[in-house]
Amino acid sequence: MKALRHPALHWLLGIALGAVFIYASIDKIEQPREFARIVYHYRLIGPSAALGFVPANTLAVTLPWVEALTGLLLIVGVWRREAALTAAFLLVTFLVAVGWALAHGIDVENCGCFRVSGEGRAAGTKLILQDLGLLAVALLLAFVPPRAREAAPAGAPVPLPQGKLVVPTGTHPR
Amino acid sequence: MRLWRAVVIVAAGAVLGLAWNAFGGRGIALSGNAYIKPGEDIVEIDAAEAKKRLDKGALFLDARPVAFYGMGHIPGALPLPEDDFDRAFAGLEPRLRNTLDIVVYCSGYGCEASHIVARKLREKGIHAAILHEGWPAWTDAGYPTKEGKEP
Repeated sequence: MKALRHPALHWLLGIALGAVFIYASIDKIEQPREFARIVYHYRLIGPSAALGFVPANTLAVTLPWVEALTGLLLIVGVWRREAALTAAFLLVTFLVAVGWALAHGIDVENCGCFRVSGEGRAAGTKLILQDLGLLAVALLLAFVPPRAREAAPAGAPVPLPQGKLVVPTGTHPR
Repeated sequence: MRLWRAVVIVAAGAVLGLAWNAFGGRGIALSGNAYIKPGEDIVEIDAAEAKKRLDKGALFLDARPVAFYGMGHIPGALPLPEDDFDRAFAGLEPRLRNTLDIVVYCSGYGCEASHIVARKLREKGIHAAILHEGWPAWTDAGYPTKEGKEP
């Protein structure tokens, strides 16, 4: 389990997960109408007589930018744990949507994961496995913090997680 | 881990998305139907209006797969399934060309088949309105239905 806390692993996984999210956002940002159509196909948040078109359209224009921002933060490593938490939240949402479609026999021909126009991947079991894999990475980044880069030599200032410098007292070599 | 940061990420992403939609030049109308392309001249009607047109003798087209048509359809409607358009259209073409008031429907808001069929008809010079709330709205309103393969 020690390897899971290696800083280099977190750095690499952050870049990889971030790249997936940014890649996923590009087509949706370029073709909002096509992505909105796919959101409709899920029949999860409308459009319906009760909801109208606004919730589905709003989701279609905002979700890709949340994905892009999450991916960017994961790559540059700023707010990485919180960005990973956001990624986990998004992935759980996708899993619920795909599960809903499968459970209701709704044939979502194109899942809208990476490509929104033409032939896309169907929402199916393979997609659920892929999302679970990404979710595992996101949860690792969010909840298993990397250990400090290297142990500080005795007597040296020890940086606390908050970034404050504290000089240990009583152990100063004379 | 600071939870508020995750909230900020989602909120900032949403604001960026709404701003891009408003000012990016490719935005969509948030209250509009994304099944209809910009500039596309397609008329959408609700169930009550569809019933009125049915009573006046409008021709209804069922864009759902034929299996659904057999389980129940609007009386008098002809099957023109989106997944078998070319073949079905060939059989119906003479009649469609001689009809002025045509209404296409499928299985409701999430269903795109009626829009695709109306678009294909339009490309062939035939105008059709869309019952955009579809079959569920028709049955919810208690309007007559018919089972079986006959119109």
